[in-house]
Amino acid sequence: MAGSEPSSPLRLVEVGAGRPVPGSEMDGVSAQARQAFPGPLLARWLHQGRELEKVGLYGGILVSYQRYSPSIAEAVAPQAAFDFVRAIKDMAFVAGRQAAILLCSAGAFAANRLRDPDAFAGWSRAMAETAEQAPESATAILERMEMLLRRLDLGGLESWLATGLRVGGGDAQKRYQFFSFADPIAERTLIRETGDALFADREYRLRSFATALWGQEMVVREHGLLASGLSPRRASFDGNFLRVPPSYPGVRGGAAEALYRASLAHVAAHLRFGRGRFDLGSLKPMQIALVSLIEDARVEQLAMAELPGLRRLWQPYHQARAGTSLTAELLLPRLARALIDPDYEDEDAWISKARALFFDRRADLSDPATSRRIGNLLGNDLGQMRIQFNARTFVVEPAYRDDNLGLWDHDGADAEALESLQEVVESLRLEQGEEADAQQQKKAPDDSQGQPQRVNPEALPEETGIPVARLPEWDYAAGRQRPQFVTIWEWPQTPGPGDWVKLVLQRRRDVVQRIDSLVKAAKVSRPIRVKRQPEGEQLDLDACIAAEIDRRQGREPDPGLYMLTERRQRDLSILLLLDASQSTEDRVQGSTQSVLQVEKEAAALLAHAMDGLSDPFALHAFSSNGREEVRYRRLKDFDQNYDEAAHRALAGLESGLSTRLGAAMRHAGSFLDKQNTHRKLLLLVTDGEPSDIDVEDQRYLTEDARQAVQGLALQGIDCFCVGLESGADSALARIFGRANSLTLDRLGHLPDRLPQLYFRLTK
Amino acid sequence: MTLDDYLIDREPFYRPLGDEIALFEASWAARLPIMLKGPTGCGKTRFVEHMAWKLSQPLVTVSCHEDMTASDLVGRYLLDSEGTKWHDGPLTLAVRHGGICYLDEIVEARQDTTVVIHSLTDDRRILPLEKKNEVVRAHPDFLLVISYNPGYQSVLKDLKESTKQRFAALDFGYPEHELECAIVANEADVPIQEAARLVRIAERSRNLKGHGLNEGASTRMLIHAGQLVRRGVSLQAACHATMVLPLTDDPDLRDALNAAIASCIA
Repeated sequence: MAGSEPSSPLRLVEVGAGRPVPGSEMDGVSAQARQAFPGPLLARWLHQGRELEKVGLYGGILVSYQRYSPSIAEAVAPQAAFDFVRAIKDMAFVAGRQAAILLCSAGAFAANRLRDPDAFAGWSRAMAETAEQAPESATAILERMEMLLRRLDLGGLESWLATGLRVGGGDAQKRYQFFSFADPIAERTLIRETGDALFADREYRLRSFATALWGQEMVVREHGLLASGLSPRRASFDGNFLRVPPSYPGVRGGAAEALYRASLAHVAAHLRFGRGRFDLGSLKPMQIALVSLIEDARVEQLAMAELPGLRRLWQPYHQARAGTSLTAELLLPRLARALIDPDYEDEDAWISKARALFFDRRADLSDPATSRRIGNLLGNDLGQMRIQFNARTFVVEPAYRDDNLGLWDHDGADAEALESLQEVVESLRLEQGEEADAQQQKKAPDDSQGQPQRVNPEALPEETGIPVARLPEWDYAAGRQRPQFVTIWEWPQTPGPGDWVKLVLQRRRDVVQRIDSLVKAAKVSRPIRVKRQPEGEQLDLDACIAAEIDRRQGREPDPGLYMLTERRQRDLSILLLLDASQSTEDRVQGSTQSVLQVEKEAAALLAHAMDGLSDPFALHAFSSNGREEVRYRRLKDFDQNYDEAAHRALAGLESGLSTRLGAAMRHAGSFLDKQNTHRKLLLLVTDGEPSDIDVEDQRYLTEDARQAVQGLALQGIDCFCVGLESGADSALARIFGRANSLTLDRLGHLPDRLPQLYFRLTK
Repeated sequence: MTLDDYLIDREPFYRPLGDEIALFEASWAARLPIMLKGPTGCGKTRFVEHMAWKLSQPLVTVSCHEDMTASDLVGRYLLDSEGTKWHDGPLTLAVRHGGICYLDEIVEARQDTTVVIHSLTDDRRILPLEKKNEVVRAHPDFLLVISYNPGYQSVLKDLKESTKQRFAALDFGYPEHELECAIVANEADVPIQEAARLVRIAERSRNLKGHGLNEGASTRMLIHAGQLVRRGVSLQAACHATMVLPLTDDPDLRDALNAAIASCIA
């Protein structure tokens, strides 16, 4: 990324802003310029400067040109510096002053990097073309030119720019997000262009490998970017949550895969053979590093005893060599190698002692306390040897090992110890939790900018719904319908985090996999054999025999002698209606999740199934505040794609108010009614019987809902209800009929059962 | 007609996992129908063969499939030159002459097919042949055994509650580590250390059950791998052929499995 250099022309702008370069031209010419433009070229260079002035581009731009063009002339050719004027003019015209100023410094850097007139002209052309198509992003790109060119060659840069333009399409906002790296795709594309292997491309197989080893399920994420614009260089784990670098810079293809594999296997070994976290106590950074290193070696020894092939995965990365230089940076990798590689020879007394301590009592290796004991002893020795340890620059070696943050308990630790741990870990690293939070917080406002219609409701007055319908209600006591009795309000959604659905799917991977296999089975609609047909592909043996018997008995045989195989097409639409009333706020027994969260997870899984089957489906939710205010939220409509907007709407659903079931179902029915499918299914998930603030008679709303179900049945809409551990099954059975309602006694089962139910209902 | 052809004359190898032999014998004594549950390749069919041998009973096996009709089980009229002639199906054979009728993978058959066994599996022990207008009373030595894999497909294919409740069930799983080593060593005729390595590899793939695989490698697969190894195939190649390729077509998972196998081989 741009260091101090790009900011300096900006400072110059202020000095020379608005004025042409003063007085005698020759006075202002630097020694560098004289050297870069020898003889007559100097006059031409000054002439170019006047060209810029002529079109009104003096001040900052001119100063910047005068400052940087000599470097271009020196690195490429004087002619390139002259031609560059045209590019600067165009840039100023297309993308504004600041972009033109930045172009000068970026040009100097590019010239030094490329060192070839053609390549430089190509770069200049690429800038001009990009600026033309994405003027808003020109500054963002130029500001990062140094970082970009350090990582990419010209071809890579061009193709990265092209990707950005394609990703953004006609949307300036999107383009800007890409080019300013707010969009993670930018970094990924960049890594891909560098040729480094991306974790994302291999995630599934690597994760599967790690799970195969000891059956642990790991959630793996890529590291976010640090303030430096780069990613942390080592994997990091916290319980089963693992973060890995998006790529290991410079490591490509098979080598990268092997490195990731070694890294995941190493973390899996920690999870398998580690026991809880170490207490930080008052350990010094060096001791922390040593105890971590011994622990690394310990879990690897145990892992290799069980799965000997893992040695092939890890040992090749230990390349430290014996030597005489005694610094911690060199000694620790040697120690690491000594503890894994039996053939490694190292005469150093300290390393020999460590080996002896580690291997002499192999039985002790199963106890993590051993790591601490040996690490402390070795740390004291190093202290006595007066070996310095710089926690700020320390990086765990070899590369496949994790940063060891997950080994230490930093909740109860005092601030000082915590600090030293973090120093060890990597001075620039953000704490994991903070990082994730910060990302989330950052995300929400950013994304809502582009979608002004999806505003954050907390910032607005409460009543933002639109009344859309007045519906009747059934009064069982009077035995008649009350027309236009209830008002339905279309309520706006609150967008939640966009990756929530993905997280759910990943956490419930076992269920998702089952769903996927069911989807596959259901998609290829199963052949059904139809017997006793007048025509068909095969003879129906039973029918033939019956016909022959009839014939011999002198009766007229049934002409249906054939059978055929038919495939029945799926033809149904489904509306999932979620109860979001206040009571869904309650915690589920034995879990930290609320009823609504479980409902939402179940909805996410079900939607995954429905999306997979391409059945038209809608996700709606409701709550009510008296008969005048039934709030209806359309999280996803039939004609809407199940995309990120729908994911957000589902993720952002919150509990509140009451359950006026009948009205919500009638309204849901009006959407289903418009669907042109053979079957229409309304699937309701609720946590109890209907209730509302303005109704005292418990039976009233139950009877109304029952009436609504019957009304829907007349329209050809099937209703099914899933009730959640509420003891309300009698009411639900009354409303929907016993066969069409299901009460789950354990709510945790809902995410698993709802998709299953769907398959059963739609079979 | 007797079912001598269905008798098993040599003892099929079977290593008990628990008390399943005693349970089977007790159920046999009470003529209780038996349901065997468990993943594929864990030894259900072998167990039935072993028990049939042990009890000296003929074993009539029917592999159930989607298109199977009740007539395929019970029998049907066929035509010959003199007219129609009744042919007993496999189930009726066992019911008439006594023996064990084993309906393998019964959930594959449609539910309306399987209800024909209802009258046989309660205290009536009769099989009405409605087309023939005959009621066959079960031979005293008739026993019905079904197998059933409660796997992922059980959502779409499941037994009716009324069918399920007629059976005593035995649950099978993959054997414990030591026992499985012994079984593989015996069946594949490989040294016990080799068998132990194979079992360790299988345990890796069973870790992936529910994470991409519907089932991990079964004991049967291990035996296959062992048989290849005994004939000089390298361990990695044998495992690839018998425990990776048949399990999944997903290149990523194959890769993960191969890597996991490599991690078991020193």
